[in-house]
Amino acid sequence: MRGHAHLVAGYIPGRSPFHRMPLWVKAVLLLLVAVLCLASPAVSVPAGAAVTTAVLLAAVASHGVARLPWGRLWRAVKLMLVFLVLIAAYQWWEHGALVAWQVVAAIVATVLASNVLTATTPVDELLDGLAAMVRPLERFGADPERFSLTVALMLRSIPFVIGAFSDVRDAARARGLERNLLARSLPVVIATVGYARATGEALVARGLGDPEPDDDASGGTGPGR
Amino acid sequence: MNPTSRSRPAPDVTAKGPTPQPSSASTAARAVRRQRFNAVDLSLIAVFAALLAASIAIPGINVGPLGVAITLQTLVVSLCGLVLGFARGTAAVGLYILLGLVGLPIFSGFRAGPAVLASPSAGYIIGFIFGAAVVGLLAAWAVRSRFKTAALFGAALAGMVVIHVFGIIGLTLKGMALPAAIGADVIFLPGDILKNVIAVAIALSLHRAFPDLLVRRRR
Amino acid sequence: MSASARQSIVLSAAGVDIVPADAAAAGPKTILKPLTLELAEQRIAVIGANGSGKSTLLRLLNGLVLPSTGSVRVNGLDTAADGAAVRRTVGFVFTDPLSQLVMPTPVEDVELSLRRLKLPKKERRARALDILAGYRLAHLAGNSIYELSGGERQMVALATVLAVEPSILVLDEPSTLLDLRNTRLLRERLASLPQQVVMSTHDLDLAADCGRVLVVDDAGIAFDGPPDDAVARYRALVG
Repeated sequence: MRGHAHLVAGYIPGRSPFHRMPLWVKAVLLLLVAVLCLASPAVSVPAGAAVTTAVLLAAVASHGVARLPWGRLWRAVKLMLVFLVLIAAYQWWEHGALVAWQVVAAIVATVLASNVLTATTPVDELLDGLAAMVRPLERFGADPERFSLTVALMLRSIPFVIGAFSDVRDAARARGLERNLLARSLPVVIATVGYARATGEALVARGLGDPEPDDDASGGTGPGR
Repeated sequence: MNPTSRSRPAPDVTAKGPTPQPSSASTAARAVRRQRFNAVDLSLIAVFAALLAASIAIPGINVGPLGVAITLQTLVVSLCGLVLGFARGTAAVGLYILLGLVGLPIFSGFRAGPAVLASPSAGYIIGFIFGAAVVGLLAAWAVRSRFKTAALFGAALAGMVVIHVFGIIGLTLKGMALPAAIGADVIFLPGDILKNVIAVAIALSLHRAFPDLLVRRRR
Repeated sequence: MSASARQSIVLSAAGVDIVPADAAAAGPKTILKPLTLELAEQRIAVIGANGSGKSTLLRLLNGLVLPSTGSVRVNGLDTAADGAAVRRTVGFVFTDPLSQLVMPTPVEDVELSLRRLKLPKKERRARALDILAGYRLAHLAGNSIYELSGGERQMVALATVLAVEPSILVLDEPSTLLDLRNTRLLRERLASLPQQVVMSTHDLDLAADCGRVLVVDDAGIAFDGPPDDAVARYRALVG
């Protein structure tokens, strides 16, 4: 019941070209979208507006190619509609209609393009991509294994925290305190910290989370040894 | 259970043992950096990042005549700094933002992915990291202060100002006029101040329940 | 490493005091008075009231808590100096499996335990599934741990700990959250293990399965001997 459903809500299964495309290709395409939208106005205002409009149309078309529901496209825009209107009004007033269009279209295009990436890539793949990005940092002292462990811990804790929130809300309601922000959040945080400590202790008991025993940790110089 | 879990940090003192030294200076430096967070620290970072992610899924509580639904998110950002301190608090917020940018739908409104950086509210998201860092830095000093409650509240307010400044800068960078950006921003101020009051109340209770949470032992 | 070889845990005058974080508060609080014990029997139970020091005693055995006086040695390894090695020898199962299971699904959790072996990803997955199958948990491998029943969770937690083949198994009140049927399953599972087992419990039936029972009372050992006498002593302490 308190599964991980909401975590995969971003992903919409399918067999479109975007679904089958490797993640890195999608990431490069997204980067291209951002660069085109940001750099094109530097050439000239009409060129910027033309390029950005083309990119926006391409982003909308990608939505169609990926067979994503149109409601999703609208939802992405709706969330920032107020800001978009304010931005458009100001830019129109200061610099004219063409610039206003370019600025707003650039924002919408990048948001939509990134939406396509998120909607066509399963969470596991995204996390693997993240791990792959962290791996080269190992020589600078990063520890990819411990990083992945922390990410896994976080994902696994989200259902716990949501569960704690709903338990506490029920308890607060039972006592007529549902509008009391403190009564609704303090018990959650206390439970959360207790849970974090228990998990940390379990990690130590299983010999996880501390640096690997075979390299630098030979001495027992640090905590948790 | 509590007394035993509280005794966990004891190894810091007792475990020193025979201490064979790492062979080279570079491995020593690496070891120091790695051991900054122990397993319990990692767990706290992960769980607070989860708390941030969950806070957007909690239905907002309607306040004020404007009917602005506030989420608990900025409350939790303050809390990360107030409870975990600078290093762990910043790491927790950073982890949350990183995973949101990678594509988990954990930003407010269940938004996800790099799109958030392109959206007008990007400044607030980036500001969360710096806000938590400022709160964490000040909180370490505030818990030792004579006027602990006021000092913690001051720390939380400083962090809030940082977040709002980042937010306003973000709005203007996206092409909004400065007055309009400030106008759009101040709507959220009363709610955020209220949330900081609650964050401080929670932090005080937590420091009582887990006395060694923020003040970590020196090694 | 063979689990059937004789194991020995030796506590020499090991005690645990806690110095309060608040320097202004009263002096150190004694959680466990200095104890000298040798634990070599195959099955050992620890019984006693809540807060008597049972959990602390168990946590001493794998270095989760280090003694503030004296020392604890497991097969000759000091828990303070060789903590990592001790934890590879001594597996620890907590009361609440939810805090023990770290990953979203059982198979990933077992893989996490196997991380130490540095296997390629595919091989690690196959090995993890094998282990779950060995404990008749294969059908749960991909489920969210939140969808498992309490009994299933405890069995999965046990499997993740046993996956790395510790030679000693310590369990902290493993049946407290289980119903009667699951407690019986756990009891059967524990009886079949080759490992040395040390567990605390409030379930006197579970304690009766053990060759040696320690009764902990007021931060010290009140009785040490065969189960019948220990249970009688425990009842007398309560009554």
